[in-house]
Amino acid sequence: MKLSLKDIAEPVLFFLALLVVWEVLVKFARVPSFILPPPKDLYHAFTAKFFILGHHSLITFAEAVGGFALSLVLGVAFAIAVVYSRHLHNTIYPLIVILYAMPKSAFAPLMVIWIGYGLFSKIAIAFLVAFFPIVVNTVVGLKEVEPELIDLARINRGSAWGVFKKIRLPNALPYLFAGVKVALVLSVTGAIVAEFVAANEGLGYLVLQANYSLDTAFALVILLILALLSLLLFAVVEMLQRKWIPWSAEVRQIEGSF
Amino acid sequence: MAPLIAVEEVDKTFESGAHGVRALDRVSFDIEEGSFVSLVGPSGCGKSTLLKIISGLIPASRGAVRVGGRLVDGPLANVGMVFQAPVLLKWRTVAENVMLPVEFAGRNPRDYEDKARSLLALVGLEDFYDEAPYRLSGGMQQRVSLCRALVTDPGILLMDEPFGALDAMTREELDLELLRIWGEKKMTVVFVTHNIQEAVLLSDTVVVMSARPGRVLERLPIALERPRTIEMTSGAEFGRYGLVIRAMLGRSAANPPVKLSA
Repeated sequence: MKLSLKDIAEPVLFFLALLVVWEVLVKFARVPSFILPPPKDLYHAFTAKFFILGHHSLITFAEAVGGFALSLVLGVAFAIAVVYSRHLHNTIYPLIVILYAMPKSAFAPLMVIWIGYGLFSKIAIAFLVAFFPIVVNTVVGLKEVEPELIDLARINRGSAWGVFKKIRLPNALPYLFAGVKVALVLSVTGAIVAEFVAANEGLGYLVLQANYSLDTAFALVILLILALLSLLLFAVVEMLQRKWIPWSAEVRQIEGSF
Repeated sequence: MAPLIAVEEVDKTFESGAHGVRALDRVSFDIEEGSFVSLVGPSGCGKSTLLKIISGLIPASRGAVRVGGRLVDGPLANVGMVFQAPVLLKWRTVAENVMLPVEFAGRNPRDYEDKARSLLALVGLEDFYDEAPYRLSGGMQQRVSLCRALVTDPGILLMDEPFGALDAMTREELDLELLRIWGEKKMTVVFVTHNIQEAVLLSDTVVVMSARPGRVLERLPIALERPRTIEMTSGAEFGRYGLVIRAMLGRSAANPPVKLSA
């Protein structure tokens, strides 16, 4: 799909207009700045606290990506184990489902007791929220293989390893990517929630501090940074998806090549 | 000469709930080596199940299948399979898809490159060697799947309604292509279809099956000369075969068999 000039200009103009309307409305309606500050205040907050923001963003980024990476490695491993072992399917899988049914963020206070105040309790929560979509999607992807392909493998004396490597694993990749996209956004949320509970750094901690001092402009800036962080991670995944699974229906749809 | 494939009193019952579903009822027939045999019947008559039992992918509930005199008790070696859907791997090129059985069989795909190339040329796809399968039309994809079935030089080709999902014109084209390839390779083909005309056009023998549970109604030799052509399908003799088969299927639908074991 080729982007035309219009496709780029339209959203840019829209957001500029939005900012102008916001600025003007807030000024004329005399909205107090602790309720809704004008965009100009947000800009000032951003430039004034740029380095503080950078430091705390890095912390949250590390927590989210750390938790996500852990969920990716363990999630895929678990999915494979569950698909290939009836015993694990009967024992571990229900356990994961029960875990999923619990609100993971409610674990945050417990994690402080179990793991402590630092980075690792946040990584643990980010991991917990990101784990399930990875496991479920990978399980489905490994299982939803055309039975004819399995017949083909059996007729030609294919090994279980061959079926896994040549059919099941590549088949699971588009499913895994769908899970990864959900998991990444969730892991950022998980890290923030964990910071709300107990932290002395990170964007979640920072947004609480801004709230306490009624610095609404700064709180909004932090929220925007969080959005950017999620978008950045999302963009990386989309890029990898195009590179690694150009054959998937989703990528072909995006690129309009078929 | 002993037949290559002997289907002997094959029964198949699928367990489902308290009662089993009977799919095949004492099915027996022989297939000569090098012949082209079609299994025709209404959908759900167990012809696909029968094909799977012949291939050894699923066991019969009773009875036996022998291939070359040996009892089939597991997946047969030296068999090619074509399914109703092409089921090509999207992440592989056309050539890599053709190589899949070679890889499963633990052989070196390098040794089969010329083979794959000549097979693809045989079906007119030599220019699509490195193409992604999803860029091909349905008929072309099914041609690739035929090449995949043939790459290991199987003695037996099992085809399960391979052209059923294609439009009539493409189906005819592929029927003739298949006949040409069969003539060249001298293999035994077992072809499942619900299309009577297709069965008559292709086969030496048409095995007509009843609705579920599938029984053999007739083993009808087709005496039309070879090579077969599309023009033949409008001939009187061809039409007579079609009518005979249709009549058999109609009779079996109107008068379901009386159960002897009451």
